[in-house]
Formats: sequence, C-alpha cells, structure tokens
Amino acid sequence: MASDPMPSPLRTVFHDELDQLRLQVEVMGIRVDQNLERLRRALREGDEQLVGEALAADDEIDDMHLSLLERCYGLLNREAPVASDLRFVLSAVRILSEFERIGDLALRGIKLAPQADDLAATGAAWDLVLTLVDVAVEQYRTALRAWSAQDLGLATDLATNRPSFASYHERMIVEMRHFEGPEAVPLAMAVYAAGHAADRIADHAAIIGARLRYLITGEAAHLAAEVR
Amino acid sequence: MTEPVAPATTAASPRSTTATAPAPVPRTAAAGLSTGAPDPSQLPVVFEVRDLSVYYGSFRAVRDVDLDVRQHEITAFIGPSGCGKTTMLRCFNRMNDLIPGAHPEGTLNYHGVALYGPKVDPVEVRRRIGMVFQKPNPFPKSIYDNVAYGPRLLGTKKRADVDAVIEESLTKAALWDEVKDRLKESAMGLSGGQQQRLCIARAVATKPEVLLMDEPCSALDPIATARIEDLMQEIKTEFTIVIVTHNMQQAARVSDATAFYSTDVNPESDRRTGVLVEFDRTETIFSNPSDERTENYITGRFG
Repeated sequence: MASDPMPSPLRTVFHDELDQLRLQVEVMGIRVDQNLERLRRALREGDEQLVGEALAADDEIDDMHLSLLERCYGLLNREAPVASDLRFVLSAVRILSEFERIGDLALRGIKLAPQADDLAATGAAWDLVLTLVDVAVEQYRTALRAWSAQDLGLATDLATNRPSFASYHERMIVEMRHFEGPEAVPLAMAVYAAGHAADRIADHAAIIGARLRYLITGEAAHLAAEVR
Repeated sequence: MTEPVAPATTAASPRSTTATAPAPVPRTAAAGLSTGAPDPSQLPVVFEVRDLSVYYGSFRAVRDVDLDVRQHEITAFIGPSGCGKTTMLRCFNRMNDLIPGAHPEGTLNYHGVALYGPKVDPVEVRRRIGMVFQKPNPFPKSIYDNVAYGPRLLGTKKRADVDAVIEESLTKAALWDEVKDRLKESAMGLSGGQQQRLCIARAVATKPEVLLMDEPCSALDPIATARIEDLMQEIKTEFTIVIVTHNMQQAARVSDATAFYSTDVNPESDRRTGVLVEFDRTETIFSNPSDERTENYITGRFG
C-alpha cells in the first residue's frame, strides 16, 4: 500500500469564495492604508482637503466592512465551515473590525490637519508624534502584508514584538510641560490625541498579527494570546 | 458471551494516532465554565482496538486500526465511501461473521475480553451490542410485536413483563407518546423517522450495553434526523454508541470522539484498503485536526 489515491478537488465554489473573501478583506485593508497615508500627510502638510477625502474614504470603508461581514455570515450560514475554514471566516470577521477601527483612528488624526502648523510649532513633542505615526503605519503595513500572504512569520513578529511607545510618551509629556500661552492646553490635548491614536493603531496591528497567527496554526495557546 | 466480562474500571488517556500528549484540561473547565461533561480519560474503555485489520478472504479491507471506544460516549466513524467504516462497525458485534471469509486480525477487546475469542458466543455478543441500520427495517408486524420480538426470544414470557419492556423501550426511543394508543397497528404505517425510532426501541429492548448505528439518519428528513440526534444524546447516559455517518455536521454535533478513515490504494492491484487516519476528541478533529488528510476531508477540499 504505497500511497493515498489522488484526491480530487471538492467544494471549489466555496473555496473560491474564501479566496475572494481574503482578497476583498485585503482591498479594505488597502483603503485603510490609504487613509493612514492621508494621516501622515495631513499631520505634516496640514492639507485640509485631505479631511474631506478621508471622510469619504472612511464611509467607503464602513460600507465594505458591512458588506464583508454579511458575506462572512452568509458563508457561516450556508457552508458551515470547519477547522481552518472556520478559523479563516471568524478571523476575517475580527480582522475586518480591526481594520475598521484603525480607519477610525486615522480619521481622528487627519481631523487635526487644520491645526498642523500650530502643532508643528510645538517642536520636539510634535516630532515625536510624527515618529510614532510612522512606526504605527509601518506596523499596520506589516499586518496587511501578513494578511495578504497569510504569513506566519510576519504574524508572529507582530504579535510578539510590538514596539514599545512608552518612552516616546514619557518624552512627549516632558515636552508638553514646556507648552506656554493660551493655546497650550488645546495643543497639548491635540498632541496627546494624535500620539494616542498612533499607539492604538500599533496595538491593533499587533492584534491582527495575533489573530492571524491563530488562524494559521489553530493552536489553543495562540487563541489565548489573541484574546489577551 | 460465555467468558466472564468484567466492566473495565481503569482507562488510559484518550488516544490520537498523531498525538500522544495527555489530554489538556478543557479550557472551559479551566475558566470555571464547566460543561458538566465527565473527563473522558476517566471513562472506562468498552472497546479496545489495537493493530486491527479486517480481511475478506486474503484481501485486507481495513488495516492497523487503533482506538478506544469509551463508555457512555458517542464515537463517530467518518470517511469517504469504501474506507472501511462500516466494516469496522460490524466487527464490534461480529456481524462480519455472516460473510464467508471475513475475519479480523489484531486486538479487539470488549471490556478486556477478546471479542473474537473461541469461547465467545456471537449471539450473546449481539444481545449486548445492538445495531441500528441505515434504512429503517421494521418487521411487517405490529408496533408491539416489533419491540417484543427480542425480549420474547430471550425468554421474557409474561405479558406484564413484555408490556413493561415495550413501554420502557419505546419511551427511551422517544416514541411512546406517539404510538401508545396504536401499539397493535402495523409498524409499516409509521413515518420513516418513527420507523427508525422503532428500530432503536427494538434494539434497546434487549437491554444492550452498546448501540451500533450505521448511518441511522441517511434515509430521514431533517426533522426526523434532529429527533434521532436528540435521542442519541439522551440515551448515551445509558448506552455506549458508535455511529457511522457520512454527515460530518452530524458527527460534529452528536459525537464525543471521532475516527476519520481514508483509503490507501495498492498501485499494482488498484485495490483500496481502509486506514484509520486520525482518532481524537470530536472538537479537535473538527477544529484543528493533526493530519492534513483529515483537514482536507472535513473542509471538503479534497475527497
């Protein structure tokens, strides 16, 4: 008895739908990435036109989120997926929520565009924010690549090596203590909000890594890590 | 059986063909969310199968099966057609004895006693280990006579005693309320689902310990199937159940342990031999199977 019989593909329509779902989640992720790029430009250039573009893009992201969630529920209803297929659909549901949340955080930062010149005048504190945003966007892009390629190495790296923003925050607070004048408090709040949004974006990227790692391995320990 | 059969009191850890680590504490239990289900590793082993092969003459139809069937659990056999699930099931009550040339090699113990031992009486085996078939097969007799057949054959003669067994068996099969006022009517007038529950009542009337079910719902509609599945959950507190099913969702819904069988092909003769690919807790088989062949089968990627 040398070998198994040559298996023949089954349920091809269902598995084509899963492939399509993976691609469409990726497309939504690219839309979010475009808003993250708008975030970087808005904070550096203060281009207020970006706010309108980002709001329109965010509406599109929300629509895609809803549509893809419905697609996932439909697959769960119709196909009763199991094992890796079930983990895939559930992961898609959860990762879509992460993308949508990252999109909201990007929007929060983009809305600071009208204040960009004043924020830039705060000097080192704002430079720290811009650095944090760059790091966070890079983390997100790694997460998006991990999803596209279903790459366990990238996912594991995201889940386990999340860059610490603590020292940046400490330095930011030190810098903010030097803010003076009647706009000191509103500027400090804006700097904090942008820095916090970047921190949260990096957090969500790490969560995507954890969710993806469990999707790929199915190991209980990775589910626990994802939840925690 | 003429050999004494002592109920097993010790049990080994659940076995997997691919994983030998002890069973982890269920996450629900660790989180204080007990499901009330007993620790499977503490349940006595009813059937112990080791290196079992089944032959039809010189042809080996199934090879190298290793698994434990535990008391008061539902064990499902799944796999593609021709993989040997039914052949294995029929070994458990020696139904294969009726096929000329069919014989097992290896270990098949029932409560520690070799089921194919020379002193074991196949009739007694079948009394203890009942069977429900794919297609409901009531006798063309009354509902009453269908259920009374086994107990009468085994010596229950008094009308009151037979009546008691009838009510008890039909109640266990969740059929009593539907037929109690028409016990003398023909069983052939029942619906397919009712006929299958009648066959379950007939099987439990001889008070077996084990029920073997060979695709018991394949001829039934979804409602009748749901009733049988519910019934299986209810009666597993009294019986040990082994079920062959092609419906993987059914295996996932009803069973505690699942064995996935596949086939090897002999390239010279092009003949297929069934193999046990993986045996594990059902939740593991359907969430994170160890063997890629299992994953491909349950997700429907390849068959």
